[in-house]
Amino acid sequence: MSYLEYTVKHTPSGFRKILFLNWPLAILLAAVCGVGFLMLYSVAGGSFSPWAEPQMKRFGVGLVGMIVVAMVPIWLWRNLSGLAFAMALVLLVGVEFFGEQSKGAQRWIDLGFIRLQPSELMKVTLVMFLAAYYDWLPTKKTSRPFWVLLPILIILVPTFLVLRQPDLGTSILLLTAGGGLMFLAGVHWAYFATVIAAAAGLVIAVFQSRGASWQLLNDYQYRRIDTFLNPAVDPLGAGYHITQSKIALGSGGWTGRGFMQGTQSRLNFLPEKHTDFIFTTLAEEFGFVGGISLLGLYALIIIFCVVTAVMNKDRFSSLLTLGIALNFFLFFAVNMSMVMGLAPVVGVPLPLVSYGGSAMLVLLLAFGLVQSAHIHRPRQS
Amino acid sequence: MIRTPLRPLARILDARQKGENPDAIERENKRIRHEQMRDQSRLRAEGRLLVLGVFFFCAFAVIGARMGLLATTDPVEPRAHAPGAVISASRADIVDRNGNILATNFETHALYAQPRNMVDPEAAAEKLVAVFPDLKKERLIKDFTGKRKFLWIKKKISPEQMQAVHEIGDPGLLFAPRDMRLYPNGTMAAHVLGGASYGKEGVHAAEVIGVAGAEKYFDDYLRDPANGNKPLQLSLDLTVQAAAERVLYGGMKLMNAKGATSVLMDVKTGEVISVVSLPTFDPNNRPRPLTEGDASDTPLFNRSVQGVYELGSTFKIFAAVQAIDLGLVNARTVIDTKGPFKVGGFKIGEFRGKNYGPLSVSDIIVKSSNRGTGRMALQIGAKRQQAFLKSLGFFEATPFEIVEASGGKPLLPKRWTDLSTVTISYGHGLSSSPMHLAAGYAAIANGGFQVKPTLMKQTGPQLGPRVMSARAAADGRRMLRKVVSEGTASFGEVPGYFVGGKTGTADKPKRRGGYYKDKVIATFASMFPAHDPKYVLIVTLDEPVETSGDKPRRTAGWTAVPVAAEMIRRIAPLLGLRPAVEPDKEPVVTLISSN
Repeated sequence: MSYLEYTVKHTPSGFRKILFLNWPLAILLAAVCGVGFLMLYSVAGGSFSPWAEPQMKRFGVGLVGMIVVAMVPIWLWRNLSGLAFAMALVLLVGVEFFGEQSKGAQRWIDLGFIRLQPSELMKVTLVMFLAAYYDWLPTKKTSRPFWVLLPILIILVPTFLVLRQPDLGTSILLLTAGGGLMFLAGVHWAYFATVIAAAAGLVIAVFQSRGASWQLLNDYQYRRIDTFLNPAVDPLGAGYHITQSKIALGSGGWTGRGFMQGTQSRLNFLPEKHTDFIFTTLAEEFGFVGGISLLGLYALIIIFCVVTAVMNKDRFSSLLTLGIALNFFLFFAVNMSMVMGLAPVVGVPLPLVSYGGSAMLVLLLAFGLVQSAHIHRPRQS
Repeated sequence: MIRTPLRPLARILDARQKGENPDAIERENKRIRHEQMRDQSRLRAEGRLLVLGVFFFCAFAVIGARMGLLATTDPVEPRAHAPGAVISASRADIVDRNGNILATNFETHALYAQPRNMVDPEAAAEKLVAVFPDLKKERLIKDFTGKRKFLWIKKKISPEQMQAVHEIGDPGLLFAPRDMRLYPNGTMAAHVLGGASYGKEGVHAAEVIGVAGAEKYFDDYLRDPANGNKPLQLSLDLTVQAAAERVLYGGMKLMNAKGATSVLMDVKTGEVISVVSLPTFDPNNRPRPLTEGDASDTPLFNRSVQGVYELGSTFKIFAAVQAIDLGLVNARTVIDTKGPFKVGGFKIGEFRGKNYGPLSVSDIIVKSSNRGTGRMALQIGAKRQQAFLKSLGFFEATPFEIVEASGGKPLLPKRWTDLSTVTISYGHGLSSSPMHLAAGYAAIANGGFQVKPTLMKQTGPQLGPRVMSARAAADGRRMLRKVVSEGTASFGEVPGYFVGGKTGTADKPKRRGGYYKDKVIATFASMFPAHDPKYVLIVTLDEPVETSGDKPRRTAGWTAVPVAAEMIRRIAPLLGLRPAVEPDKEPVVTLISSN
């Protein structure tokens, strides 16, 4: 069911649209960003530089961007989604050739006026494009093999490009978000069952073959897998981040040491303390209460997104909102699991809290799309 | 799938008959079908959403639970457990025969850095240089700010230095406990102990492994935790060793020698009570081995076992006792030592071209006649000579328990000709170490039994098979006593201790063949008290020159003997020997020799 079948007469227009924003969602986003500023201020040792101030500026830009995006009718975004995806793909290929190196990975591209991480852009445009695809595709064709293969290709191409940068975390996020969207769009569950079973079979085969005559990988590759999966084996080497962040979380206890009192992060025990591992600072300074509160904020954001998605009769809007929510969820779930030692360290920042321009801007723009979908949702007379 | 037509003919016709618009039916049916489809997809979407919701909920629950779990656990400081065997730092002490410590362990620390944990690398580097002036600041800054994750800064630091580094207070500067091998007596018995250094090094411990001497020879024992850190007891006596080292050092300086060595051995057990090799070194700070030049030029060279020399006339006594043992002669048998004496085309001469004429066997030893000894050796013959020397241990490296001993293999003639037999009988053509000589003399001293030199404390006599008759040994001892009381070793007399011994002065061989005219190895092989010897003492000086007279004197009688006598004077009381009156005076001069 598409918006064209509904009357758009009741959709607000002009600057009145601002009144129809999903305000609770906007306030929740601002709150999460506020937590981020607080932490960046603390990590810098009680100083707005070098992290908190630029982050706040970016938030300002991002907020304006979000509102601007929200003002643009969602059907325009739908029609542009193919173009957006193509552009992001071009930038991603561009990174391959013109990208800048940072910490051993090629992720940045300099467009002259802005330094951009195309992989961040890709997260949103992929969801947009898939949502538009399933909006366009007649429902009955959803599970036909050819029409299933097409989105798989759409997902795998950018995933592969990101993996080459190399950025394992983002490529996992792309793959999962894309797969999740296909699932939500209603692709027959047998496809997912097959893929999951095949993947599980492969993993089991790889591990079963260890030491057997038909060993699939080399010994050193197994050892790498071991330390990747269980960094505790090497607490001062590969598992260094994890052990230190576990210590930070443990020393925070229930209520934490108090704002700016964290030692683990302040004394430089933690690397990446202002980016991927910022959650440990929060957990150390505000304890379990602080951590669970942030988790609650995230949960509320997800809930608001799901509610607006369910209420929205427009298939594109609904899928897009859910896709962005899923993306956002994966973001912080992977980051928190990683920091708490539930998942291997793959380098995913904590959304809206971690220091980083591209991620924050792109996320706020993505929520602009959610807002646009909310404002321009079809209303029955 | 049976599809319901949008325009069922019956209803259309019916509607037409009633005059209604048939398109309304189609519209109505379209709407119903649409709603059905919508409901269906809605249902599916809701199912999917439910799955997603459950997934979200589970993930939130797991993350929240984990957060709570971590918040309640007490943080544990990580400990690296290195893969493979745990590095064991334990190493047993080494003590002398009276339990005095020769080598022990001392807890110290090594200093290392983990630059990624450093708060202020540049300030830390600056402060470190203040504590350790030998470090280079630029170098440290480069290391601390570079890519390295780990680096050793200092291998051993003192407690004061450790405190100073503590006060720098940088979390990236860390200490690794180290067991340092300590030799509290410094250079004493350096060659026996050898030294130790670190093997596998970890942050929490480092292996201490022996690199030379007994430390290396007994490395497995010392490092074996199963021994419960029971100290290794050596045969050395620290007090005697100290005295011997001091006397030998003084003697070496006095005689202008470039090196010296002494071996003091218990004649019945083979225990080496003291062994000195000069110049020496400090095992706490072992010098590096030479990469070029002669091995004997480094203080690491152990002359007592590695110094394989032609020991000259000290060998003559072996020919004499063997000849007596075989019944070929007795101590009073007269042998003509007149020249010329040609063997294999070579003329055998005497020291400084002397000519002694007919001499008794005893006098041959006392006067040290080459020709007399050579004639006895020819009677003994090469075969029996070889067998005898072999039984005394001159054909193999000594079994002395330091790693260097196995390198001190005697040099034997390639072909054992008659000439070899003769020259070897007076100590040329066969090179051996002072330790070998000590074992050989011990057999004469203890009444004719083979003994093996050992570094381990023994509980009782360790006599090997008999190698000569008691009578031959006794005659040998009497002759050696006479060498001191009236022969070439008259400076060796120590009142009350009745030293017996034999001098030996051998020209040093040139590297490219031939002999130096002015470089000798002077040896005095002695035993005391001669009538019932308890100890054998070998003193060897390398290139000694005694310059008190108008001509430089190099013979052992002028160089090695006075040093040995001084040593015996100093150590005999330490060994618990009391000065006594000699009970076993030489019998009244016999008819034969008075002729």
